[in-house]
Amino acid sequence: MSTTPSSVALEPTGGRRRQTDRVMRVVLLVLTLVALVPLVLVIVKLLGSGLKALSWKFFTTDPTGSFLGDPGGIKSAILGTLEIIAVASAFSIPIGIGVALYLVEYGKAGRFASVVRYFVDVLTGVPSIVFGLFVYAALVVSKVGGSGFAGWKGALAVALLMLPVVTRSAEVVLLLVPDDLREAALALGAPRWKVVWRVVLPTAKPGLITGSLLAIARGAGETAPLLFTAAIVQGTTYNLNARMNSLPAQIFADVGQAQDRLVTRAWGAALTLVTMILILNIVARLYSRRSRLS
Amino acid sequence: MEAGALAPRGDSGALGLRGTSRGRLADPAFRWLLTILAALILALIVFFFVFLINKATPAISKFGVFGFTFGNDWDVSRNVFGAWPLLAGTIITSTVALVIGVPIAIATALYVSELCPVRLRAPLTMLLELLAAVPSVVYGLWGVFFLIPKLRAPSQWFADTFSFLPFVGGPVAGPNYFIAGLILAIMILPIVSAISREVISTVPAEIKEGSLALGATRWEMIRMAVLPYSRAGIVGATMLGLGRAVGETIAVTLVIGNSPKIGKQLFDQGYTLAAVIANEFGEAANNKLHSAALIAAGLVLFVLTLLINGIARYIVMRGDRLRNISPTEAEIGMPTAAPLMGTGLTK
Amino acid sequence: MRRSIPAIAIAAILTLALAACGSSSSTTSTGSGSSGASGTVNGAGATFSAPIYMQWGSTLKGQGVTVNYQGVGSGAGIAQLQAGTVDFAGSDPPLAPADKALLKKGPVTQLPMALGAITVSYNLSGVKAGLKLDGATIADIFLKKITKWNDPAIAKLNPGITLPSTAITVVHRSDSSGTTKGFAQFLADFSPQWKSQVGVDKTLKWPTGTGAKGNDGVAAAIKQTPGAVGYVEQAYALQNNFTYASVKNSSGNYIAPTLDSTSAAADGITVPPDLGIVAINSPNPQAYPITSQTFVVMYTDLCKDGGMTSSNAKAMKAFVDYGLGDGQPVLKQLSYAALPSSVLTPAKAAAAKLTCNGTAIS
Repeated sequence: MSTTPSSVALEPTGGRRRQTDRVMRVVLLVLTLVALVPLVLVIVKLLGSGLKALSWKFFTTDPTGSFLGDPGGIKSAILGTLEIIAVASAFSIPIGIGVALYLVEYGKAGRFASVVRYFVDVLTGVPSIVFGLFVYAALVVSKVGGSGFAGWKGALAVALLMLPVVTRSAEVVLLLVPDDLREAALALGAPRWKVVWRVVLPTAKPGLITGSLLAIARGAGETAPLLFTAAIVQGTTYNLNARMNSLPAQIFADVGQAQDRLVTRAWGAALTLVTMILILNIVARLYSRRSRLS
Repeated sequence: MEAGALAPRGDSGALGLRGTSRGRLADPAFRWLLTILAALILALIVFFFVFLINKATPAISKFGVFGFTFGNDWDVSRNVFGAWPLLAGTIITSTVALVIGVPIAIATALYVSELCPVRLRAPLTMLLELLAAVPSVVYGLWGVFFLIPKLRAPSQWFADTFSFLPFVGGPVAGPNYFIAGLILAIMILPIVSAISREVISTVPAEIKEGSLALGATRWEMIRMAVLPYSRAGIVGATMLGLGRAVGETIAVTLVIGNSPKIGKQLFDQGYTLAAVIANEFGEAANNKLHSAALIAAGLVLFVLTLLINGIARYIVMRGDRLRNISPTEAEIGMPTAAPLMGTGLTK
Repeated sequence: MRRSIPAIAIAAILTLALAACGSSSSTTSTGSGSSGASGTVNGAGATFSAPIYMQWGSTLKGQGVTVNYQGVGSGAGIAQLQAGTVDFAGSDPPLAPADKALLKKGPVTQLPMALGAITVSYNLSGVKAGLKLDGATIADIFLKKITKWNDPAIAKLNPGITLPSTAITVVHRSDSSGTTKGFAQFLADFSPQWKSQVGVDKTLKWPTGTGAKGNDGVAAAIKQTPGAVGYVEQAYALQNNFTYASVKNSSGNYIAPTLDSTSAAADGITVPPDLGIVAINSPNPQAYPITSQTFVVMYTDLCKDGGMTSSNAKAMKAFVDYGLGDGQPVLKQLSYAALPSSVLTPAKAAAAKLTCNGTAIS
């Protein structure tokens, strides 16, 4: 025991101590409920203000951008988010898992691995806007790839953001794979790469998927990296090398509007985004509950 | 899973078995593939910083590192860039966030770990983590259209009634430091709470049971056994929350008022490092000094989070060493809780 | 079963996506139109004129020309034109020598497009529209010398109106804005203290107030804050039913911003050879004194210097031709004033000189 309870002489058990105990229990309960109040308020407000924006037309028309008349829906924003997140995940998830594999399988004690781990950790702390800044300065201004603002550049900024999350969570999951499994496979004569491929990864798969889904949920909600990389545009486009809309960017653009119907659209888009993220979170949670490792 | 129980990892031969000849080639190839991948990522990260430092140089060389960071004048039209009003705004809003958010977060962690009926633990945990699932732009939206109007009158009453307190008083317009701090508090709550919960759950049962056996009430047990033991971890959790608060951009820029001066009151408008980058970057491409200044502001922000996270890790590691936990495990376990938060994958 | 849950989820999302894109047409339209031009034009800049370009854009879309315009402020617009990330910039103030020095790829054309009123809008319950204010008083409000609505200076100009004691919250722009420059120009003409202390520029060191992004942001802030006052383009003010002030012009008349008073501002202003007109503080006695002009700025050789493809350059030409032609009557619906012929004729001549790789665009 390295920490002992402070040796304070306790008063004889009696009313005052019991009262303090009761009071503090109530205080802790109340504070916990207070913590949940914002969640309730946000959800209520989202539903209250956002539901009335939803309609089939809302999801299937682009924002028109016209000052008078129909403001349009958020189709390009939804599709843009799906495209950008798909590209960002395609980049960050395999690479993140790969780096985690390296750290766990080959680098547990190595110096190089500690350096890599430290730098990935450092990346976790970078504010999301700095990623956007980096991609803007490095790729957008110099028009790499033949375009200024582009969907794939936004995806790259989001990927940079997701990478440390994927790596760290994958590392934890891979560490949970019992060494006995590895040893057994190695003892049977399997080469190292086969052990990883056939034993470690399948065992860790549910956890890896959970971690990836959580990273995707995180990436889908980010606005700052997209502001000056993919920009905001009204039309739907599948051309990743052109400006691309996205849900967070569309919401951000609509928040500063005075027109009520644009604000309503912002709420509808927010409701859509939160629902998408919630679904990802719930699926991730369900998956982890069925994981063989937990 | 004992860390040292196996033979050194990189050497499959030490276990006495070599694979087939195909395995002999594939194994080193696989290892090199992964090593190169890790090295490339390392190179990317290093390039990331070097590139940004490079781009920030015009501003840093003109004002000097201290002149830029602590200069009290951010004036775009005169091309003078001192980031102190922004840094102060970042510090003020983060402080408000910590003062409001951390006690509540610790309270929730204590309640869920120690006092709450076991059946409620999972649902409560999930609800607390849902707070983290809400994207920051939605918090900003909610702040602008719900929080600011609803809190205007109470804030004005507070400002008038308590105007004898320092930094309290003045007209409450709309966006201000306090609202920004409040929203940040809500946003850091899940992180601080989750990590505190992890830390509190590592308090050995003997210590808790010991104090209960000696006749302590539940609260006394918490106060005397749990809290001292988890103090380092909780401080670490707080610092991680602080790191998140410092870097938050979108929610803050919508509710802080975007005024590049240091407001004198809690209810004044202000600016933060992250918000200024979001607002001014569009026009800065025109102006090499301005864009360099914004990138430099980003670097200041980043150095700040680096320092905070570094201190957090140090405190936690020191606390862990006192409790005889191996550094690697602690190192991996603690910050990872942030992304995973109670999915059951940590520890 | 356990492995199929995320697969099902992902499949569901994809199905939704495919259904959504299957049900309506998408991407740049390829409809044929009267102009025969088809292409995409990207612009960014002043929020002052954003309603115009978006409205013209939605009309032109049916003719095959797609206009993407992002309201980011005049300063950012010029920056993006210089960075090459847009084809044209929307800017309220005429190009300053500093701007021209930056756009050095080649000669630049600025085309005036419309005139609009910068209203001084306020959110004050119980006080109707038409509060009389003059330049010096407005400057004092924005200089934080006047902090309450019932200040004697305001009361003096408005005998007979009961002013509440609400605190004044100033709202200004947080981004680089041509609207700011026009407003500041007006204030500087009437307040020496403003001129020396704050100056005239797209970005200013505001003595007080909340910053918001874009005309739309300022409008939103005014709408949400009782006691607020801010400068915002008339289209935004009208759309939100703002109450705004009647401002004293240099002839001594208190003029409310109307279509007539905005158009009157254009009469009698000089048109320099580079078309850089300034309508602020017009000498016309019936003019609303805070009337601003707005331009589209682009490289004269759209393809060589502007980096546009020839089909997009044709689309750009179609856009400006429409704007200076059939688009002018549309301005009235949006509460902007059309250009007088003294400005329109040289503008059309300049538009005709736009080229693509040296040859005129048909």
